[in-house]
Amino acid sequence: MTSTEAIQVTGLSKTYNQTVKAVDQIAFSVHPGEAFGFLGPNGAGKTTTVAMLTGLLRPTAGTAIVDGVDVFANPTLVKKKIGLVFQESTADSDLSGRENLELAAALFDVPRSETRARVDGLLERMQIGDAADRLTKTYSGGMRRRLELAVGIIHSPAVLFLDEPTLGLDPQGRAGFWRYVQELRKEHGMTVFLTTHYLDEADGICDRLAIIDHGHIVATGTPSELKDRVGGDVVTIRPAQPDPKVETVLAAVPGVLSVTPQDGAYRVKCPKGDALIPVLVEACYKAGFGLSGVSLKRPSLDEVFLEFTGREFREDEGASATDRAVRIGQVAQAFGRGRR
Amino acid sequence: MMRQLVALTRRELLRIARNPQAIITSLMLPILYLLLFGQGFNFPYPSSDISGAPNYFSYFAAGMAGFVAVTATLFLGANVIFDRLFGVLKRNSATPASATSIFSSRLLAGSVQPIGLAFLVLGLAALLGHLGLAGLTVTASLGVVGAIEIVAAIIILSLMFASLFLAIGFSLQQPQTYFAVVNAINLPVLLTSAALYPFGRLPWWLKNIASYNPVTLAVEVIRLNLFAGSGSYYTYTAGVYLAGLGAWAVAMFVLAVLLARRALAPAK
Repeated sequence: MTSTEAIQVTGLSKTYNQTVKAVDQIAFSVHPGEAFGFLGPNGAGKTTTVAMLTGLLRPTAGTAIVDGVDVFANPTLVKKKIGLVFQESTADSDLSGRENLELAAALFDVPRSETRARVDGLLERMQIGDAADRLTKTYSGGMRRRLELAVGIIHSPAVLFLDEPTLGLDPQGRAGFWRYVQELRKEHGMTVFLTTHYLDEADGICDRLAIIDHGHIVATGTPSELKDRVGGDVVTIRPAQPDPKVETVLAAVPGVLSVTPQDGAYRVKCPKGDALIPVLVEACYKAGFGLSGVSLKRPSLDEVFLEFTGREFREDEGASATDRAVRIGQVAQAFGRGRR
Repeated sequence: MMRQLVALTRRELLRIARNPQAIITSLMLPILYLLLFGQGFNFPYPSSDISGAPNYFSYFAAGMAGFVAVTATLFLGANVIFDRLFGVLKRNSATPASATSIFSSRLLAGSVQPIGLAFLVLGLAALLGHLGLAGLTVTASLGVVGAIEIVAAIIILSLMFASLFLAIGFSLQQPQTYFAVVNAINLPVLLTSAALYPFGRLPWWLKNIASYNPVTLAVEVIRLNLFAGSGSYYTYTAGVYLAGLGAWAVAMFVLAVLLARRALAPAK
């Protein structure tokens, strides 16, 4: 089987103990040079998918071609072509940063004549040159993450897998990490497959996204396409007293595209939410319904997630609102991209 | 594959060198036995009971030199478990390095260091004799061949136990379980070998068991080369004992490779 795509996945499934379907019949492709994000909450199947695509886990069914190689027929060859950054630190704490990189270079069979230059170059680039000969057990969390990235790319892989690589990093650390990844992409045309449950990272970094939930891919597209599918702004109207008639009142307001009940409130889709809020509020009061809250959301990946899964992205699995607000700016800046 | 093996072995040796506590701990038990058990049980036995050794302590010291191969390889399996818990094993599995390289590097690094420790135990046992205590007395003229035989016995015994402990390490997930299992192996191995007891005084059934114990096989090679006339108390030559020891080592090696390959294969 051949493929011109960097990653081509067909009918990939993983069932644990014949009962738990971690990944169920997923299919997608990643173009060469693309940054493709797998977005979903914990337990959605992201890490299981990465483990299968990198030859660390056997699938129950399906095929996966990475850089032209069938992962399950030839996992060793695939491992030569890919880099992998795990969500946890896997650097050897009894070795220095330099020794970790030298070991990785030998395991990936980087030409001996190039090893020294690559190791020195990566240590400097990841800003751990001054600590290169210190044992990594003395490194900060950010330094360890950057070392992980350096280990993952020591052999200049065609495809770099990043499995929630910024988990536990502070906002500055995250922004720095993604800046390095972006630089590498620009220089080497490396394909990046990343999993994250940070919506802002996915929005700022990925050319295309797949939203995965309960082992199923529920949507695929560019961040813009996915947001467009939400259909505009979302005004959330929360009545003081729940009453099903509120939905009818809201749906009758000119300009409203749809009304969806959600947790005692109503999500009203409309092209220009800020202009429609006074009209919606007035309509409710005229019909005799008091309101306890009104909010406006511009289309975001939170909305996209809600649209395709029917529930809020679980905030407790991501970062705090403040943290995310800071990161949105930093990640977008690091990638030279704004948010819609 | 050779480059990967060398790189991984270097990593293991660096790790051992940077954590000398493991080596010190592995020496504690044999040294404690030398100081307490060896001194306390140094009664006058007929030569026939202690395989021609000049005294029980000398006989016992040779036994401890062999036993150090067990204690010095104990931590190898624990290292596998901790490497799995800390993600190092997963990192290595994500590279093109073969399971055989990952396993063999640990085996090689772990089997080298008991040689020095065994001679350290013998040296300490000899030193005790100069401190007014019972000490090791070498009555044979140890030539190059004899020294090589002793080194070979310790290396093969170390390879065998390193394989065994690595096999256990690759099979288990939790360090607590590992230590429970190796403790259940450690003492019975010692107590069913000729490292401790005057062999001539053993009941027939224990003598039969001890004759096949790999520690016994290694210790007999050491005693054959340290004590003049001890050959008359042994059924076989050092070469035969080494061959028997080699059979043990091959069996354990095969078992360990199979378990390591299973542990390092893509998860099901």
